[in-house]
Amino acid sequence: MDVAKNFPLVIILILFIGAFIMPLLKNKIYNKAFSLMTIGISSVLSLITLVYVNRYGTFLYRVGHWDSPWGIELSIGILEAIMSLLLTSVAFVISWYSVYTIEKEIKDNKVCFYYTLINILVGALLGIVYTNDLFNAFVFIEVSAIAACGIIVVKDKKENIKATLKYLILSSVGSGLVLMGIAFIYSITGNLNMTFINKELSQTFMAYENSILISLGLFTIGLGIKSAMYPLHVWLPDAHSNAPSTSSAMLSALVLKAYVIFYIKILYRMFGEEIISQFPILLFMVLILGSLGMIMGSILAILQKDIKRVIAYSSVAQMGYIFFGIGLGNTIGLVSTFFHILNHAIIKSALFLTVGSMIEKTGQKKLFALKGIGKEMPITLGLFTVSALSMVGIPILPGFISKFNFAIGSIKGGKSIFVVVILISSLLNALYYFPIVINGYFGEENLEGKVFKSKEKTIKELMPILVLIIAALILGASSNKIIEMISNGVEVF
Amino acid sequence: MEKLLTNYYETASIILFGVGFVTLLLHSNLIKKIIGMNIMDTAIFLFFISKGYIYGKEAPIIRGVHKGIQGYINPVPTALMLTGIVVAVSITAFALALTIKLYEKYGTVELDEIMRIRGE
Amino acid sequence: MKNSLILFPILFPQIAALIMGIIKFKNNKRRNIYIGTVIVLNLVFIIALLSTNQSMDFHLIKINNLLDIYFRIDKLGILFVLLASILWIFTAFYSFVYMPHEGKEKRFFLYFMLTLGVTVGIAFSGNLFTLYIFYEYLTLATFPLVIHSGSKEALRVGRKYLIYSFGGATLALLGIILIFTLTNSVTFMEFGILQGLTLDNKDLLLIIYMIMFIGFGVKAALVPLHSWLPAAMVAPTPVSSLLHAVAVVKSGIFALIRVSYFIFGSEVLYEIRGNYYISILVVLTILMGSLLALHQDNLKKRLAYSTVSQLGYILLGIVLLNEESLTGGLLHLVNHAVIKITLFFCVGAIYFMTEKKYINEIKGIGKEMPITMGCFAISAISLVGIPPTNGFVSKWYLALGGLEENKILFAVILLVSAMLTAGYLLPIVITAFFPGEEKKIIKKEPPLSMLIPIVTLTAIVVTLGLFPNIVLHLIEDIVKGIV
Repeated sequence: MDVAKNFPLVIILILFIGAFIMPLLKNKIYNKAFSLMTIGISSVLSLITLVYVNRYGTFLYRVGHWDSPWGIELSIGILEAIMSLLLTSVAFVISWYSVYTIEKEIKDNKVCFYYTLINILVGALLGIVYTNDLFNAFVFIEVSAIAACGIIVVKDKKENIKATLKYLILSSVGSGLVLMGIAFIYSITGNLNMTFINKELSQTFMAYENSILISLGLFTIGLGIKSAMYPLHVWLPDAHSNAPSTSSAMLSALVLKAYVIFYIKILYRMFGEEIISQFPILLFMVLILGSLGMIMGSILAILQKDIKRVIAYSSVAQMGYIFFGIGLGNTIGLVSTFFHILNHAIIKSALFLTVGSMIEKTGQKKLFALKGIGKEMPITLGLFTVSALSMVGIPILPGFISKFNFAIGSIKGGKSIFVVVILISSLLNALYYFPIVINGYFGEENLEGKVFKSKEKTIKELMPILVLIIAALILGASSNKIIEMISNGVEVF
Repeated sequence: MEKLLTNYYETASIILFGVGFVTLLLHSNLIKKIIGMNIMDTAIFLFFISKGYIYGKEAPIIRGVHKGIQGYINPVPTALMLTGIVVAVSITAFALALTIKLYEKYGTVELDEIMRIRGE
Repeated sequence: MKNSLILFPILFPQIAALIMGIIKFKNNKRRNIYIGTVIVLNLVFIIALLSTNQSMDFHLIKINNLLDIYFRIDKLGILFVLLASILWIFTAFYSFVYMPHEGKEKRFFLYFMLTLGVTVGIAFSGNLFTLYIFYEYLTLATFPLVIHSGSKEALRVGRKYLIYSFGGATLALLGIILIFTLTNSVTFMEFGILQGLTLDNKDLLLIIYMIMFIGFGVKAALVPLHSWLPAAMVAPTPVSSLLHAVAVVKSGIFALIRVSYFIFGSEVLYEIRGNYYISILVVLTILMGSLLALHQDNLKKRLAYSTVSQLGYILLGIVLLNEESLTGGLLHLVNHAVIKITLFFCVGAIYFMTEKKYINEIKGIGKEMPITMGCFAISAISLVGIPPTNGFVSKWYLALGGLEENKILFAVILLVSAMLTAGYLLPIVITAFFPGEEKKIIKKEPPLSMLIPIVTLTAIVVTLGLFPNIVLHLIEDIVKGIV
């Protein structure tokens, strides 16, 4: 069984090597098959890793057998394993969907590059999740940033280029700040390995309070930009709404999340709870910004007229929840954050894919033009409805469970007043999701002249979305087991 | 004040960082923005490398005799920044490529012009 | 495993509804037979279930003490479920005739059956969380019924309905979460689950009670959160009658009874004086409802405001916290359901035959539709509460309850409101029967299949007035167990 210890590195290698082989395969079909295969293999390996970790506990892997303060170390615990399973499997489903649709959004000669970029992106995100080395993480962050920009600009429209440039510049500001933070930490501790930094810091942090606070601030803002913490989200709506739908799904579901994982690692593995609790202002700021994101993201979403922008702003709100959970600063908050990451990754990709199919079939992006869509594409809108209900937080669906856990977390953390923020935010969610569904299915005027099922996709093409929805339902139904597993993971984090 | 002068590397890099950041934020010309981004990156490199520099020691390149650990500066930050420079260059190249594309489509590299064109 | 049978009456109508959505019927008659069979079978099954075993419980999913889908049958639930299922049958038969006139019957009946399952689910909920789920689900299931016509106006009203309901449910959820953090349980228990709690946090409890009362009160049309109810009158008549009589507003009332007596318990409520603050809102509801009803010209809107006021009576019965008042409240819950559904059916029949919606249009209609308007008159008199009708019985108990609290004010309010009720209902009867000017009379009685439900319901109204003991025993039984 110990061979499983090699899997994390193997996964990254498979993805990266695959990425560089793909441009050599001229045929589009081979490209798609190859990309799907590599991501599929990685998700299987991730699953095995998860099983292994669940049984034998966290393990450290030395890349190239260099011992830890010098060499790069991968650290795989339950949380990392869950995240890597999530990243690879959701990426797999999204790529599966893209196989049918990608030609409709990007030019034929770009298709092979698209899959190359997807592979690089997933590989880099996994690198961020696995690594225990700060600088290594920085490199992976940069790689993922370029790849993420790549999958937006691959559509090659005016708006895309502009959105990409905005994203690229802001995200390089973010990584600059992260690098600065790393510099501060390095100058204090002389280490880049998180575990070792933690050891050093726990002995000497009293002497360097200012430097630690500065570097915490730099990490928070830097990663906040990258994972769209309100009010640093300005790049997100443009980037996510203009990208091809599959890219939007990928960006919203996976890319944002990897940076959050890295942020949590920095807070709890590198600095450790003891140091964090010295600076309550930091977590409080994160909590406030999270709450603001939850409210403002939803309000901004209500104001949008373009369906993809609505969903993009909804991501801002959902990232608000995630930061809210981190800001609570207790175990339940952290567990709910992880659960919400899982939930949001699945549901948001389903939303982007359903909306992508609607836009593809009707050619319309505006909300008013999509009225009555429920008659033309009943199944697609049905899947959208389930996801929207989960977002709003209708019980049993996973969205409710995570919101409920956030509420419990904030009460247990002595911040009962924030429960109100959660509830207001879910009401606001209802305000922008329900009109889409209602105008889609009902209304005499809306349905006039629409032919039943005239624009529906085939079941084969809808399968990936169906898989996502089923996964979400399973996530909701078995939430207690998953939350228990996450709690175990958080304890050994 | 004295602290700032003794740590003049750090001071300089923070000033550079500020210059870069302001350039990046305030200019609407994309090329200038990218230059600002580069200045910012350079500031970070300077900061990082200065962390590894020890006054009077040599660069960690062995010429003839090995002087022992005492003889050289800390090689790690230098090595890291080499990687950092590579990353920064690739990002710059990518950003410039996008700028060229944008120029082809809009005929200008001024962001506010582009916003105006889009608004029309 | 036998206990899982409790799921059957909840799931059966819903599954039947889904099946109906899939299969195509050769003609409308076959579809009607199918629907009728399902709804009657469901009632039969419920009765069979209740006669074998009166105390069943079943955990469907249990994640932790809060996230626990738990069903339990108790006497209050039985009362509610029987009321709902019986009235559902009448509505179904009435709709078979009425709905072709509105169109889109298939959709109507699909959600109609779905809502039956959800209502049964509300009745059988064994804890607050399950109640909350079905409460939300009820909003979603009734929403397509409210916007049935699909016009712009209907969609606007539908949005209002959703916003009000979800807002209320969200407040209720806040209360549920707070209760859970206090007690680590949300299961319904006679006399409440908060008793063992030390009462040093009275203010917190009071706030929670207010939050939950207002939250669930939205569906019970508590003034000032009632405005969705008159607006929802754009829906077809069978929908309005069901919304008013059983499904929606009574679910709100039912939830409030559960919260007041099964979570807080009357003693705790006394202690925190929760009833005191709420009763102000309730009195406002009674008076505002009646006063607003007075100057409505649209028949259905007038009935809607009347519902607001009558619901106030039931709420009053709940918040007075003594046996008499709760008996009166529950009795009025039953009586009002039967009376209001009859009134709506009559109004619906008028609209069905003559397309008339306004009071000034129906002059002399009593001569044209004597049976319909006769039934309307009997029900109206019952609602006013003139002895020996059933409305009198329930109001009598309510007044007794008020007097027991030494609050003559409440008895006076009841009297004033009864006057107002007469003031807004009897003019309809008078306009209908005494037109003042003679004109040619054409008999326009609705078809027999529509008359039968109306007449039967009127008969029930009369029977309940003459022999109130039939339900009174059951209600007294319930009340003894919880106050």
